[in-house]
Amino acid sequence: MTERRTSVSNDASQLSVLNDFLQEFWSAASLPPAQAMTFELALEEVFMNVVMHGSHPGTVSLVDVSLIFTAGGVTMTVEDTGPAFDPLTLPRPNIEAGIDDRPVGGLGVFLVRELMDAVTYQRIGTHNQLRMTKRIDR
Amino acid sequence: MKVTVETVELTTLVIPVGRLDFGASAEFQKHVETAISGAERAPAAVIIDCAALEYVSSAGLRVFLMAARTAKPAGVVFAVCALQPSVREVFDISGFSRLISVHTDRAIALAHAVRPA
Repeated sequence: MTERRTSVSNDASQLSVLNDFLQEFWSAASLPPAQAMTFELALEEVFMNVVMHGSHPGTVSLVDVSLIFTAGGVTMTVEDTGPAFDPLTLPRPNIEAGIDDRPVGGLGVFLVRELMDAVTYQRIGTHNQLRMTKRIDR
Repeated sequence: MKVTVETVELTTLVIPVGRLDFGASAEFQKHVETAISGAERAPAAVIIDCAALEYVSSAGLRVFLMAARTAKPAGVVFAVCALQPSVREVFDISGFSRLISVHTDRAIALAHAVRPA
């Protein structure tokens, strides 16, 4: 089992810090580099949602990220202290829509749900917790 | 991310190198918008050559969508080419492979890059 945890402030500049954190975990767990993209993308989409929409205006708060590799695969958990918000309630974007009708937003959460095997949301006290799992074989 | 721009006859090639994430998307968007509007006259086509693009998120996809939307009324052919497998996967899942012309390599994309009649 390989496990890593970190906390960063809810600031867009921390995205590259989180990506470095993910890459370090990925090589420590000897996981295939070609499969890191799913988690890179999920981490960016979930973190940026928290940065843009998930915090009380003008406040700095921490976002906690943990990564665990076990025989079952990789589980990533992202927690923030913003207002209660379950991103899994967002409607699925219409991916059949034509070029002028396609909404510009709403794709991030959709991509995360499509790329992961399982995504769950829980409100725990004052925290939003989003947990994502995907089977990865070494 | 690094972006280079090349011109082949009436086609402008925009070549992103590295990761197109939230942090890189604004600069990439500037390059793409400049290519579509053209410096002195509009190009016949703008091709994003993705051979060295390692990663794209929804922030990056948004630039591709806005570019395709701007190119259409301007009469500029817009296409992407040479997607790496992980980028291709994101294009496929999001439905962008159907919205935007995707070519396997630069030569094929250039062959299709003609001004519409």
